[in-house]
Amino acid sequence: MFDYFLKRNIHNFVGVPDSTLKFFIDQGLQKKKIIITTREEEAIGLATGFALSNSYSLIFMQNAGFANSLSSITSLLQLYRIPMILLIGWRGYLKTDAPEHLTIGKIQPSLLKTLEIESKILTKQNWKKNSDWAIKNLQKNQISALIIRREFDD
Amino acid sequence: MIRSQAIKLCAKMTGINPIISANGFISRDLFTELDKPTNFYMIGSMGLASSIGLGIALKNPRKKIFVFDGDGNILMNMGSLATIGALRPRNLIHIVFDNHSHESTGGQPTISNNIKLEKIAKSVNYKVFHVHTKNEIENIFKKVKSVYGPIMIIIKIKKSKNTSKRVGIDSLEIKSRFMNSIN
Repeated sequence: MFDYFLKRNIHNFVGVPDSTLKFFIDQGLQKKKIIITTREEEAIGLATGFALSNSYSLIFMQNAGFANSLSSITSLLQLYRIPMILLIGWRGYLKTDAPEHLTIGKIQPSLLKTLEIESKILTKQNWKKNSDWAIKNLQKNQISALIIRREFDD
Repeated sequence: MIRSQAIKLCAKMTGINPIISANGFISRDLFTELDKPTNFYMIGSMGLASSIGLGIALKNPRKKIFVFDGDGNILMNMGSLATIGALRPRNLIHIVFDNHSHESTGGQPTISNNIKLEKIAKSVNYKVFHVHTKNEIENIFKKVKSVYGPIMIIIKIKKSKNTSKRVGIDSLEIKSRFMNSIN
């Protein structure tokens, strides 16, 4: 999946790790294409600098980190219409997930909707199609969220 | 010097190099004192001017990129200093207008007077300079032309009661003219 984005003009992969996204991030680390920031909003700021230089980015984060980024989404990305792909690990998708993930996991879909961010859930069957959708939205200066459900407990 | 005087002088000294300015009165003063297409006024998202500046610096290594920041903004996103220090953009010049206060919201105190920002910046690989007067500011701008960054210039300014008018162009215009000027 990492290579799929890299080959389609996404040059920057910035964010804060999530075990849900481990394989994706590990592929990028092997290619030395990952920048890990201290917080998610910092990643959004950095990728805004890339976007202003005509270079597209994918931001990876946990949904806890998505909650961290709300102000940078509304008053930077949406205000200036900065194109970006947000790849978000859906912690708390399973009711048996760790207690600290449950509240944000529950409100995540409505939070995305309230923020008017279009999102799609990636599965083994649809990930190429939905990734293409997000990549295409970049041309329209739009943010898209791609969600990966956490379907395991640790 | 007060905020608007220091910002006007620094804006003049940067010439046609891009400036990313922090939200609040810093962007407002920059717009009022010396509006240029190469100014990116970050009117919201407090704290992120340095992160945006880092992104632009990494993608435009032949240009000197200036960030006009405040003490309140830096304190809100101190992680950015660490990331900048780790990635070491040679062409990033981070100017901090330090008045130990959140002047844009009514002059409430920040804690910048109680910490040593200079030591923090140095420990994450910045080269740090302190300036106070008009002459010192003019000289430091000449000096940093030939110094590899990341560079931090801390300018202690006096608190003032001056407020500033809003940035008079909309966000999409700020973006498009900035992008046209650098790409």
